[in-house]
Amino acid sequence: MIVEFSTWLRYLLFRKSPKELDDEVQFHLEQSIAAKMIAGIPEPEARRQALIEFGSVDATREECAQQRPGWWAGILAQDFRYALRGIRRNPAFSLAVVLTLMLGIGSSAAVFTVVDKILFRPLPYSDDGRLVSVGLVAPIEPQEFMLGGSYYEWQDNQKPFVAMTSETGVEPCDLTEVNAIRLDCAGVESNFLPTLGVTPVVGRNFLPSEDRPNAPKVALISYALWRTRFARDPSIAGKMIRIDGVATEIVGVLPQDFEMPRLQTADVLLPESLDVAAQRRADPGRPMWAFARLKPGVTAEQAKAQLEPLFQYSLRLAPAPFRKEVHYTVRPLRDRQFHDVHRAAWILLGLVMAVLLIACANVASLLTARRAGRQHETAVRAALGASRSRLLQAAILESFVLSAFGALAAVFWAEALLHLFVAIAPGGMPFLSTARIDARVLAFTLSIGLLSAPGFGLVSGLGRAPANALTSRGGLGMRRAGLRQLLVTTQIAASLVLLAAGALLTRSFWNLQRQALGINDENVVTATISLGQTAYPTPERQMAFFEQLQRNLRWGPGVNAVALSDSLPPGGSHHDQIYASLRVEGQPRYTSGTGGNVAWRWVTPEYFRTLNIPLIAGSGFTDDELASANRFVVLSRSLAERMFPGQDPLGRQVHLASGAPIAQDPPYTVAGVAADVKNGGLAAGDEPEYYRLRRNRPEDWDQWAVVLVKSGLPAATMERWMREQVAVLDPALPIEQGTLHERIAKLADQPRFEMLLVGYFACTGLVLAVIGLYGVTSFLMVQRKPEVGIRMALGASKGNIVRMVLASAMRMVLPGTVAGLTLALGLSQTWSSVLFKVGPHDAATFLGATTLLIAVTVIASLIPAIAATRVDPMTTLRVD
Amino acid sequence: MATPTDLLQGTLDLLILQTLVLEPKHGWGIAQRIQQVSGDVLQVGQGSLYPALYRLEYKGWIQSEWGNSESNRRAKFYKLTAAGKKQLAAERATWDRLSAAIGLVLGKTEEAPS
Repeated sequence: MIVEFSTWLRYLLFRKSPKELDDEVQFHLEQSIAAKMIAGIPEPEARRQALIEFGSVDATREECAQQRPGWWAGILAQDFRYALRGIRRNPAFSLAVVLTLMLGIGSSAAVFTVVDKILFRPLPYSDDGRLVSVGLVAPIEPQEFMLGGSYYEWQDNQKPFVAMTSETGVEPCDLTEVNAIRLDCAGVESNFLPTLGVTPVVGRNFLPSEDRPNAPKVALISYALWRTRFARDPSIAGKMIRIDGVATEIVGVLPQDFEMPRLQTADVLLPESLDVAAQRRADPGRPMWAFARLKPGVTAEQAKAQLEPLFQYSLRLAPAPFRKEVHYTVRPLRDRQFHDVHRAAWILLGLVMAVLLIACANVASLLTARRAGRQHETAVRAALGASRSRLLQAAILESFVLSAFGALAAVFWAEALLHLFVAIAPGGMPFLSTARIDARVLAFTLSIGLLSAPGFGLVSGLGRAPANALTSRGGLGMRRAGLRQLLVTTQIAASLVLLAAGALLTRSFWNLQRQALGINDENVVTATISLGQTAYPTPERQMAFFEQLQRNLRWGPGVNAVALSDSLPPGGSHHDQIYASLRVEGQPRYTSGTGGNVAWRWVTPEYFRTLNIPLIAGSGFTDDELASANRFVVLSRSLAERMFPGQDPLGRQVHLASGAPIAQDPPYTVAGVAADVKNGGLAAGDEPEYYRLRRNRPEDWDQWAVVLVKSGLPAATMERWMREQVAVLDPALPIEQGTLHERIAKLADQPRFEMLLVGYFACTGLVLAVIGLYGVTSFLMVQRKPEVGIRMALGASKGNIVRMVLASAMRMVLPGTVAGLTLALGLSQTWSSVLFKVGPHDAATFLGATTLLIAVTVIASLIPAIAATRVDPMTTLRVD
Repeated sequence: MATPTDLLQGTLDLLILQTLVLEPKHGWGIAQRIQQVSGDVLQVGQGSLYPALYRLEYKGWIQSEWGNSESNRRAKFYKLTAAGKKQLAAERATWDRLSAAIGLVLGKTEEAPS
């Protein structure tokens, strides 16, 4: 074996000299002649016979050469060089192929990576397909939730589930030991982990006896916390820690891949410890989120139907105004996690698959065009003795090399696109930031790229080189060209639809960015602060901290105004209540339904000045009111007009919790009317709003506040100074900073993402359509080369020829444009929900998209048109 | 790829290796020797002899050396290597098995018709 291998290697590296064989053959011939002469044949005749006997010396020489190891590689290398030369010689064509593959394959790999995370990611629960999210749906909260008053009734009486469980949400909590840290603590029912099918990696789950009020405190900690804080201590179970100052026993550690079903971050799980008997009686009871495991063979729809009587029970509990607006749902956990993203992901996947198909069709079309252009050359090679398989091999190799370049470019393109997606995606897209082009996706990309090579090569290589190609015009069928023309027309239609969508979204985004928000975000720096339960256990302590901070900030360098609020417009994280729960003193309640939502927030007097919100009536809140025992409110203009139509609201009294017991529904005096401010996000409609004054009384304060500072200093300086001021009061307090401008810009992330994504596909579609058009037009021009020659010989000018080529291109473009416009106008109605202040049939937008498309296609067909004018009439005539 | 050519090629290899067992020979000598020994039944076409020699040499089973022929003319002599001897033994065994098997089959079919 070793001897054979070393021989093989030696001959692979060193070639035998061709002269050796010549000498050997010469010797053979001489021997042969000598033998014949001995047999009595005269010398010339003996020589003749010997030569005939031997046959072709050339063939022997070639066959001997073929015996050499690596001979095949040599031929391949030769074809490879030939392919590279061909690629270099026609850069426009090669670029078009590589670009097409890069866009087609790169986009699909990137999108597939993103979609894979959303649609196909396995959830870290056993048999996750059977887990559902169960709950009520109300206008206040678009995603389902439960209420303690209904939950236990449902849990006891449900039939479709093996088990039903709940969590009560995540709240900040403090690990109060040496090196105290702020953690996220989730409250869960004792059957939470078993229902999800999760087992702690260390220790055990909660016992039902631990999930009761006043039971000894126990906790499960996350894997990350176990690793970072407890150095993976294997004997952690049983260890006591202090959470918010309360001694708590760690009973177990969660698996590394554990995540909450609603994807919140949680470092610690605590038992809900709800008083079940009290919750059953309560109305509406503790808000919570319910999850269940379906019995085998039961679908979410069947489960929903079976829960109908329980829903009717809950509906009877609901306050009258809500009844018409409350529904319930049972849906797979995966759908809940990806809510709206789910459908978008499928659409995206479909889009990109279409792009991929178009790209493949383009490449096939381009290669055929190229082959048609090289018929003459192929015929010459065949005439010089190249075998059919050799020619086919060369054609496949050339497309393989091109595809390899394309696939390589596609990998880089996919990586770049993914970075772009992650960079521009809004925070609401779960898991996107962890998306990486993984090995499977890479294999997917490369295999499409490389498998398409032989396919494309065969398509372009199989057409037999006609024997008459040397002398006459080629005969590659016009029928196949017809199919390709139809394909180009379709591509143009599709890309016009995408272009129109992209243009509409761009206009919409432009409008969104330029709309009046009702506030001035210039020079305003914000800091969100949440005080820990341990250091600030009472509203007094909380108020003391915030008031001290406000005083310290007020006299800072360049500070014009300081205000504290608990939420900021236009984000929509404010409090909400229904209009029916507001009441003007001395007037009856609003009774026809809920009356829609009303937004409200806690503010300090300078809030309006800091954000530049004009006060239309009254003086707003002043220091007098700060110290008063009475309560004050500022209404937004739209709320004032609704509550006091045609009257002066100033000084009037309103109730903000009507329906509640008198003690909880004190009167508020209207101290002013402020201009309307955008408060429902950037695109959504605006709610009427009111502001409650945070007086110097503990009852008006809690652990949360947003500090707003308007100053003349640069934002970075201001932020640093604010951090220092907070640290002076409490060095361990974490704060979240940013300018108001940044906060608002973040709200535009989602529409920006949509715009860029659709825009990207529009550009990709356009580029592909243009490449397709270019390929087919070039192909047709090769076909018509002799015709062009004759026309020019007969006196056609270059202008005539260009017009002729353009006309044939426009015969593909115009029907495509008309079809695309019709389709886009028909479809755009369905986009109107995401459009902001631009009609779905906006004339200027559609005109712009169409003009752009036609302009680009004209340029694309000009290239082959100009090439056609360079045809030398004499050459074509002579070939004919 | 079990085409008849393969079988012929393999057979030619076997014949060449066998011919070289006794002494090194040049191409002409090998062809003559095969012809003689087979009683003129097997005629080795030069068109396949030289490619076969090259192939065997590339595989390391034979080695070539320039020397002087009987007529004192420079000629290329081929000599069996150790690896070639092993290969010859293996190919002989295969051949024996094959021909025995074919013989069995043919023997049976001869009996069948009568």
